[in-house]
Amino acid sequence: MNGQEYPIDQAELNKVVEAVRAIKDGPRVLQLYMDICAKCGTCAKQCHVSCSEPVRRNNPAFRSDHIRGLYSMNHSVLQKLAALLCGSIGASLKKETLDEWFRDFYECSGCRRCAKFCPFGIDNSVITRKGRTILHSLGLTPAKIRATQKTSDQFGNNEGIPLQVFMDNMCFLEDELLEEHGVRIRIPVDERADVLFATTSAEILAHAETLMGCATFFHVAGISWTMSSEAFDAANFGFFSGDDAHMKRKNKLLHDACMKLKVKKLVIGECGHAYRVAKHIGGTNYWGKEIPYEITSILILAAEVLRKGGLKLDPSRNPMPVTYHDPCNFARSAGIIEEPREILRACVEDFREMTPNRDLNWCCGGGGGLGPLDSCEGVREGESSFYEYRMQVTGKKKLEQIISTGARYVAAPCGNCKRQITQLVNYHKHDVEVGGLFDLFDKAIIL
Amino acid sequence: MSVDKLVGGLLPYLTCIVFILGIAYRVSRWNRASVTRMPLFPISSGRAQKWSQIAKEVLIFKGPLDGDKSLWIGTWIFHATLALVLVGHLRIVTDFPRLWNALAHKKGEIDAVAAIAGGCAGAILMATGLYLLFRRLAVLRVREISGFEDYLSIALVLAVVLTGDIMRFGSQFDLNPVREYLKALFSLRSAPVPSDPWFLLHFFLAQLLIMYIPFSKFLHIPGIFYSKSLLWQK
Repeated sequence: MNGQEYPIDQAELNKVVEAVRAIKDGPRVLQLYMDICAKCGTCAKQCHVSCSEPVRRNNPAFRSDHIRGLYSMNHSVLQKLAALLCGSIGASLKKETLDEWFRDFYECSGCRRCAKFCPFGIDNSVITRKGRTILHSLGLTPAKIRATQKTSDQFGNNEGIPLQVFMDNMCFLEDELLEEHGVRIRIPVDERADVLFATTSAEILAHAETLMGCATFFHVAGISWTMSSEAFDAANFGFFSGDDAHMKRKNKLLHDACMKLKVKKLVIGECGHAYRVAKHIGGTNYWGKEIPYEITSILILAAEVLRKGGLKLDPSRNPMPVTYHDPCNFARSAGIIEEPREILRACVEDFREMTPNRDLNWCCGGGGGLGPLDSCEGVREGESSFYEYRMQVTGKKKLEQIISTGARYVAAPCGNCKRQITQLVNYHKHDVEVGGLFDLFDKAIIL
Repeated sequence: MSVDKLVGGLLPYLTCIVFILGIAYRVSRWNRASVTRMPLFPISSGRAQKWSQIAKEVLIFKGPLDGDKSLWIGTWIFHATLALVLVGHLRIVTDFPRLWNALAHKKGEIDAVAAIAGGCAGAILMATGLYLLFRRLAVLRVREISGFEDYLSIALVLAVVLTGDIMRFGSQFDLNPVREYLKALFSLRSAPVPSDPWFLLHFFLAQLLIMYIPFSKFLHIPGIFYSKSLLWQK
């Protein structure tokens, strides 16, 4: 980022100072995080970014101090005294500081692992997102994320898939399923059904095998389901950019589709943040406690059916060693931990855990909107692009974990994680396949 | 007005007001603020389980225990000893005869044990406090996030510990005038302020520390209950 591209004037700098000052009357979580950090350094020891490249700008507490420091200049008695003595009162925010914010707040993948180990449970991702919200209000959001939001507002999905292409695609996938299984498996669109299924639109373009597996699951489980032509994409980039208005707008598409099709359940596919936004951020928080549909994940649903003995699976069809990557937004942030393991164990012969795993997993390094970023945007002179940063720094821990399991297939039920881990193994030239859970399910299922 | 009158006669009332109003101000802000849902799994189901989980964090420092052993060993011993020392200080103005009766110990024995325990605690506090300061200076990931406030806080605590230790280990110190003075202070009567300079210094620094709590990172003391319960609310 440079000054020519994003002209920042004093009025906008004041806006930033004001936004930070307003935390004083903001949500409890931010007030606390401004007040109570003891600077003990535990977060840095448990952060995948900081561990891979232990420099100050990767230290979670240092990153959070961008905002905390500015806040305490306005609120700390000590700072005020110091300012009085030194003769400079109030915060002085420079344009260059915002350049640093822009890069640093997009280098945190918001995985919340620090919150697991912080003595006070400080979740640095909340401060990261606050930083992004402030930047977004000045138009300082990475071009890719900004463009994706715009596309989503125009087309109703992040990939800009036009309605006719979507319909054709679904017909094509039905043909593929018929060819594969010898049985007609439908992918209903806009029909009256019990379940509305929505997933990331990236899956429709790049990971159709996962979507096909989900269709097969609904078919064998005998669940009446449908997709919506208006809301098939549950991914929500407002969550990443800190743009709450966009987040709500996008979530409304799902809500409206559920109401229109009068479904009993909204089932989110293999997309971590989409589920977290739908279930824990949007959903009842946006549209009231009395919404007439339940929000769940296909992982939960499939595990339920499996436990009841409703699925016949042949693990010998997936003989290679498989490991499971816990997407942060499923494990730590949504509690979907054992369900995917139950499904995997039934689908594959050789299942191997990574260490650490479950709620203590290492992030893939592409979380929090970092995954889609490739460009050199935000780069200071002599520094790597977001892509290189993801490959060399944020993904390092995950790659080590995967390699040490000896697995040939990484099941990662999340669009972001799939993209990041695929790029990781390619970049470092490892012969490991990356895909979804339902890709394996589709191979193992006996119809 | 002389120094002992200022530190012993006037300052305690100011300290008390600043501390209580300061904490009340902070806590009432937190209480009034909006609460966003931000569960961090696994989450235990009931309210009782949530608070037992929080108690575990507060009592054994589970985060650093799992996440940073070298911090845990220093900070847990430091805080646990601090708690013990606070209880010991209570015995200056009050005592727990029922407890000692229940444990079938005589007052004299308790005093002897307390003298040894207090001495050990003072030494341990000093040692672990210095260890934490050393860690802040020596470990890069901690040093690079440490600022003036962090050093001031630990320095203030160490100064209080040091002056306390000087009284404890110095042979001259007589606790009785302090006992009389503090008893009077707590019942809002005026009494002669002990003139021992180490006592006055210790008492002064301790009051500074108490007044500093609501305006500094020491807010983690009440804050931990709030921040942890944010993560584990259903």
